[in-house]
Amino acid sequence: MNDYEVPEELYYTKEHEWVKVEGKVCRIGVTDYAQRSLHEIVFVDLPKVGAKVNQSQSLGSVESVKAVADVFAPISGEVQETNVKLADAPELVNQQPYGDGWIVVIKPFNLEAELKDLLDARAYADFLKTQVK
Amino acid sequence: MPLRTQLHGFHVKNGQMVDFAGFELPIWYKGIVPECKAVRDSVGIFDVSHMGRCLISGKDASTFLDYITTNDVSALEAGRGHYSVMCNENGGIIDDIVVCRITESQYLMVFNAGNREKDIVWQNKNAKRFDVEIRHVSDEVSMFAVQGPNAGAILKEICGEDLSQIHRFGGKQIHVDKIDAIVTRTGYTGEDGFEIFTMDSSIEQPSKAVTVWNTILDGGSKHGIQPCGLGARDVLRLEAGMCLYGNDIDESVTPIQARLSFVVKLTKAQFLGRDVLAKEKAEGAKKARVGLKALEPGIPREKCEILKNSEVIGNVTSGTFSPTINRGIAMGYVPKEYSKTGENLTIRVRNRNLRVEVTGFPFYDTSRYGWQRTQK
Repeated sequence: MNDYEVPEELYYTKEHEWVKVEGKVCRIGVTDYAQRSLHEIVFVDLPKVGAKVNQSQSLGSVESVKAVADVFAPISGEVQETNVKLADAPELVNQQPYGDGWIVVIKPFNLEAELKDLLDARAYADFLKTQVK
Repeated sequence: MPLRTQLHGFHVKNGQMVDFAGFELPIWYKGIVPECKAVRDSVGIFDVSHMGRCLISGKDASTFLDYITTNDVSALEAGRGHYSVMCNENGGIIDDIVVCRITESQYLMVFNAGNREKDIVWQNKNAKRFDVEIRHVSDEVSMFAVQGPNAGAILKEICGEDLSQIHRFGGKQIHVDKIDAIVTRTGYTGEDGFEIFTMDSSIEQPSKAVTVWNTILDGGSKHGIQPCGLGARDVLRLEAGMCLYGNDIDESVTPIQARLSFVVKLTKAQFLGRDVLAKEKAEGAKKARVGLKALEPGIPREKCEILKNSEVIGNVTSGTFSPTINRGIAMGYVPKEYSKTGENLTIRVRNRNLRVEVTGFPFYDTSRYGWQRTQK
């Protein structure tokens, strides 16, 4: 049985993104399950700072040698910051998916309402059990 | 129900399995990036038993092969071989192959897994008027590729013979632990390397193949030998500029367009496709296969559009990330006028325009990597 890391304090989507509420902004990345499925990540396509995204819209991609995975915006908002370290070290997403491998920071437009669309840690962990590998 | 190779047990235990050309094979064991690095720096071993293999003999073996392939078989002495293609009457590529004259009277032909049945039908159809015997041995002979600068050193230890004198694409019979085998100096990585065919090792009775595989792994352990999967295989061959049938070449392109003119020997009076190919060689092909190297971060993928100044001029036929040069690389066909090295083009990757330039093959620095490297 695979034990995927699912930190308690985060919110999640079924597309395997995580959201960390940090005061007025949200930090976003992809989950341990996502990085393990992709295996060696060699490129991260980041959005531009200032870009406005709708919930569920693609804001970029995480790529392995063989595969491309879109990163979907878990919430709508404006991109405040992107993780430029990923340009030289895309493998950070594999090594620290919840830490230094974060992808963007977004200033949300409608956080309170949209958080209700997301899964909490427990619900995401349950969802992972249904993913056949 | 997917087919299996003789080493299926090893792959299931150690690798991430996928379906390829109807076979269950590992896409990686440790990962594509470390496996590519192992091959370029030292040595890796691949189970490529899914490929097609046949032995051709008989009075007309040479003339038959000269009829169905474009390269010059009559020029092969015993122990020599070459890369080649089989074309149809329109010059379209039926398959790319390696032909090796193992002994005076016997030729080994290796062809693609995805074309196993097609090639057998094609050969039999065209063999009718020749006195030739074609023995299909794909299911009774296994095939491993041992690739990298240390491949020869390992094989020398385990078979007791110095294989360095074998010419590229040449081959001979050898023994590993008293097991009959054939070795050819061939590969799909651009590095020096050998392919080993273990005779008398069927899927049902694979013990000889398993012994040879394990002997190579043991003998190579001091060189850090890595088992390598299909993922690394695809990256390495693309870095080397080698075609993948079904992606970069198929019946809709000629070897001239595919930049494989060197295997088309018009000195041969007659062979399938000759008329069309002779005309195209004389007039020049209107499109050409080119290498495309990304000038900025981003990874071109198969089917992406290639553009010159916003106009679509072609499509990517193979694309990946090259860990050796740390850039996205691709192959595709463009009109002749855009095929010169250094031509600046873009590839549309999803909703981005990735700047690329036309390069020659291989993509890596040949003084540092590849069978012709000069630096240690």
